[in-house]
Amino acid sequence: MNLRLYLQTLRWNRVRLLAVVLASIGWGILIPVIYVAFADAFKNLANSGAIPKELLNFGSGSLFTLPGALTLGLQHPLAIAFVGIFAVGSTVSSIAGEREAGTLEVLLARPISRRTLYLTLAAASASLIAIVMAALLGGQLIGVAIQGVGDELDLAQMPLVFLNGLMLWSAFAAFGLAASVSFDRHAPAIGLTLAYLLINYFLEILGSLWRDAAWTQQYSLFHHFNPGKILTGKTDPLDFLILAVAIVIPVAYALVVFPRRDLAAPS
Amino acid sequence: MQAEPTGAPQAVIATKGLTKHYDTVKALLDLTLDVRSGEIFGFLGPNGAGKSTLIRTLLGFLHATEGSARVLGLDIEADSVEIRRRTGYLPGGIALYDSLSGADALDYLADLQDRGAAMREELCERLQMPPSVLRRKVRDYSRGMRQKIGVIQAFQHDPELAILDEPTEGLDPLMQHAFYALMDDQRKKGRTIFFSSHVLSEVERVCDRVAIIRSGQLMALQNVDDLLARRKRKVELRWRGAAPELAGIPGLADVRVDGNKMSATLLGDVSEFVRAIASPSLEDLTIEPARLEEAFLEYYAGDDASEEVRG
Repeated sequence: MNLRLYLQTLRWNRVRLLAVVLASIGWGILIPVIYVAFADAFKNLANSGAIPKELLNFGSGSLFTLPGALTLGLQHPLAIAFVGIFAVGSTVSSIAGEREAGTLEVLLARPISRRTLYLTLAAASASLIAIVMAALLGGQLIGVAIQGVGDELDLAQMPLVFLNGLMLWSAFAAFGLAASVSFDRHAPAIGLTLAYLLINYFLEILGSLWRDAAWTQQYSLFHHFNPGKILTGKTDPLDFLILAVAIVIPVAYALVVFPRRDLAAPS
Repeated sequence: MQAEPTGAPQAVIATKGLTKHYDTVKALLDLTLDVRSGEIFGFLGPNGAGKSTLIRTLLGFLHATEGSARVLGLDIEADSVEIRRRTGYLPGGIALYDSLSGADALDYLADLQDRGAAMREELCERLQMPPSVLRRKVRDYSRGMRQKIGVIQAFQHDPELAILDEPTEGLDPLMQHAFYALMDDQRKKGRTIFFSSHVLSEVERVCDRVAIIRSGQLMALQNVDDLLARRKRKVELRWRGAAPELAGIPGLADVRVDGNKMSATLLGDVSEFVRAIASPSLEDLTIEPARLEEAFLEYYAGDDASEEVRG
């Protein structure tokens, strides 16, 4: 890994990171507030049979329990957007974007191997994701403390939730970086990565809202990010294994393909 | 044409049968050449001839289809990182980080080079890039200023070898002369420069040897002086009274006589020609210098690509 390149990559993202961290903390604080305010109302609504119980689920989360609400907050489109900015946007731009802009040529004229470049950018992406995940979870903990509902959680499991989230988003970042090293232009790389993310998300949400399609969830990476299970002491090591495989495959692909690719002159 | 590498141990760049295909396009074909230590080597050809392909292959951006090459004695595939550590590179139409200031961009690239920036101050002075300009964002720079930053980043770590792709593109005439002076100083320091260009006058002005490439194939590899010595020069003479008969002077051809004026082309030794025409009735003599342009056009005769090359 190249420390100078790593630090510069973080520096280039600092303004965006600050904005996303503040938004993530705010969103995190809001989730326990919503839970305390509306959980009973939603329970009554579901028990009345006025609406199907499935419609009050969202992904692996729900508003009926605090762990479920925290899961919902982390799988909500807003949270996806916050983390996705770095897991998808920055990773895809990192190589294909530099390639398109022509700066990759200046960068690779330095004594940096392509594998070092890739691993440095991967480390920077993982760091950015970790910071945003920490902000989201930190915000949720602040919200839990404000609402005084900490006794409904096994707080000792929070590092595992953090790891689970980091692995989920690192899997998408690894895919984004693999796409980034595979294309000379930014657009196809971001298109492919967004498609991958959206398909995973669609499979998870579809399965959670429609009982007959529940089987689709197991094919979604989001299904293997389940803070609710972890916080209730039902951690499934298989979830971590599947996410690890989803990280390793694109990383291995990129490490093989990127050094062998021809980088023709930017058009 | 193939030029066998000479004195391989001293060759800073040595390619052997280097070939690069892009699908069906043959960008480089069986290219064998050497660049010797301490020389300024010009690589000539119009756009699309294969100049940038060779440079990008030498630096590891492209992988050769066939053949091999060594730079600074190192294999371009196995030792690419070490080659780039000891080399300065100016890409054609350089792109820089627009959000950084000129100074920050140079600092960043110097840090990544990991060899310091011993020459930066001198280069900034020569290329008229004072601190007040370097503090501005790259996005506010003109094309010429970006090119100057490109030249500075290529030389600031005092590399043993500089590879420059169209180095004077965008530089004004004053800065072009500053660049030529820099080349002269680099030669005196024993540094090696490999640069591609389609500006023939600057190659003629700066280079010790040139290679001419056409459609990926090496057409010529010669000393600039030797190449010029073999070129026809245009001569014009004016006599007091009628022009004498000059047939039979070796190398003289295309003779045209118009009263007391005569024009012709001369190939070969000038001194022999001057001796032959020496006469009290000779009033004026003009011998135009031989130009690389003519040599180049000879290799590109009938090729539209020659129109892209400037004299």
